[in-house]
Amino acid sequence: MGWMAREVGRALLLLWLASLAAFAVIRAMPADPAVITLLAFNLPVSDASVAALHHQWGLDRPLHEQYLRWLGDFLGGDWRRSFRTGEPILTEFGARLPVSLTIGLGGLGLAILLAVPLAEAAARRPHGWADHALDALTLGAQAVPAFWIASVLIWIFAVEFAWLRPLAGPTVERMILPIVIVALTGVGPLAAVYRAGMNEVGRSHYYQVALGKGGDPPTTLVRHGRRYAAMGLAAALTAEASWVIGGTAVVEVVFGLPGISHFLVESLAARDYFVVQAYLMVAVAWMVAVALTAQIVRHLLDPRERSRPNRSA
Amino acid sequence: MSHHLPSCVTRRLWLLPAIGVAALAAAVWQPHSPEAIALGLRHAGPSLVHPLGTDHLGRDLLSRLMVGGARTALVVALVSASWVAIGTFMGLAAAALRGPFSAALLRVAEFFAVLPSLLAAIVVTSIIGLGPVSAGLALGLAGWGPFALLTYGLARRGLTEPYVLAARALGGSSPSLLRRHVWPAMWETQLSYLGTKLGRVAIAYAALAFLGLGADTARADWGAMMYEYRLFALDHPLLIIAPGTALMALCVALRVAIGGDNGERVPATSGDLASAVARAVEVQDVKGYSHAHGAGAGMAGADRPAI
Repeated sequence: MGWMAREVGRALLLLWLASLAAFAVIRAMPADPAVITLLAFNLPVSDASVAALHHQWGLDRPLHEQYLRWLGDFLGGDWRRSFRTGEPILTEFGARLPVSLTIGLGGLGLAILLAVPLAEAAARRPHGWADHALDALTLGAQAVPAFWIASVLIWIFAVEFAWLRPLAGPTVERMILPIVIVALTGVGPLAAVYRAGMNEVGRSHYYQVALGKGGDPPTTLVRHGRRYAAMGLAAALTAEASWVIGGTAVVEVVFGLPGISHFLVESLAARDYFVVQAYLMVAVAWMVAVALTAQIVRHLLDPRERSRPNRSA
Repeated sequence: MSHHLPSCVTRRLWLLPAIGVAALAAAVWQPHSPEAIALGLRHAGPSLVHPLGTDHLGRDLLSRLMVGGARTALVVALVSASWVAIGTFMGLAAAALRGPFSAALLRVAEFFAVLPSLLAAIVVTSIIGLGPVSAGLALGLAGWGPFALLTYGLARRGLTEPYVLAARALGGSSPSLLRRHVWPAMWETQLSYLGTKLGRVAIAYAALAFLGLGADTARADWGAMMYEYRLFALDHPLLIIAPGTALMALCVALRVAIGGDNGERVPATSGDLASAVARAVEVQDVKGYSHAHGAGAGMAGADRPAI
């Protein structure tokens, strides 16, 4: 169990570093949130009113004291209130996180559902249509910006054929296109890893033996390659899952969805210190949690991991 | 794994200087001033004078595309330079050093792998303003972590190769071993990694400009153009198709220039493994890099840019 304690320790260290970075970066922003807030409410910007807001938000204290107090409050579940909306940040995040998670995880799930059959079809017939489609999707994921796809899809579905109301309908209806876009960008990379696993099995001795027993090549490949390829897919999923929070920012903004990344973009303009800090903490915590889970799962599944006594560093 | 990889990867490195020269030329010369407004010429169609037509303010679309391309290329250059410089230095240093120094370097690299670099860039550019230099430095400085972890994994693996052990037995010091025996065997894998990432860097910059926090909207950035022109997409589709196509073309060119070629599929050593491996490495992979860099590599998905 020593290794698990060490991994958790490393995760906590990363989170602490993130809290420092979040605090430092946001304080380095030049504009003053108090001035922005006063202007937003059409209140006179005087030294006295700015000082009063600073005092109310605790910004008049020394920086180290501000940081320690904020960290203490944050860990205790008091994430402070937003300067902009006046609501408790924890409540805001609670309402918005499901939207972001639905888009991110829904897109990821859809991507897996599409990637596995596509990759198997590609592995069955090298140079077949599925193989080429997969290449195109992989390249497309790296070359086509999501907001461009979003514009095209909005145009097709909302304007030309009016099948959906992606900007004005109920939230569920508005989330369909974003999920499809997230899935489209994930399919290529996931399927490519799966196919690479299949191809590797195609070069293995046990596959040759299975063929020697009289199997039909494509079917045998898929039957014997599935498990091995799934291992690679699981590893690739870790990377894809780690950006579920934060990776959907542009889609949320384009579709005007009330997710947490959209909230961040709005809050940045208002220099909403505690929102930005909380957001970065949530994003990093999510990634660390995904990586940690993957680490533990792999450790439990793969005996080779356990027999390796001293992992470097 | 790493060093027997690239034999069948078709790389067209000559494309890189070609892209660079094209970007420089586009920065220096445009047929018209990209900012010259001519309200009498609003939404003019393609002609000899304006090969791609003009936008809603009568500005020449081709000139704006050229400036935007030069700015995007500058971002990509800055990001690759900082990733290669910082990532290689930190990765090799962590591999050469032992004990707490190495561990400390790795923790820092892990942090910069976990830090969502697009978000960091959004924050930084909304502070100091969005331009190719600020965006390039923000994306570069926030995103070098995975590159350093990859370098570290490759170097650690390289240091255990028999020929490197032999060189060490002959009295070679760690720095010279890394330089003369380890690095020559790993730079191609580093390059493949860059090849899978640089297109995404260009897209990340477009996304930053599209979101427009801290952006000077008069500047001709492809992302900003797509944002500005989206209102006219129905009546004048070229306005939105042109910057999108240009961005895709740049991404594909970068990918073809240094990335693994998707087209190769020799069953014995299939060509697209380059990308799969680069990806799997980033993901802390199936094949054992994980032992070299532990949890951090698993967090390396962070540099995935704009969705």
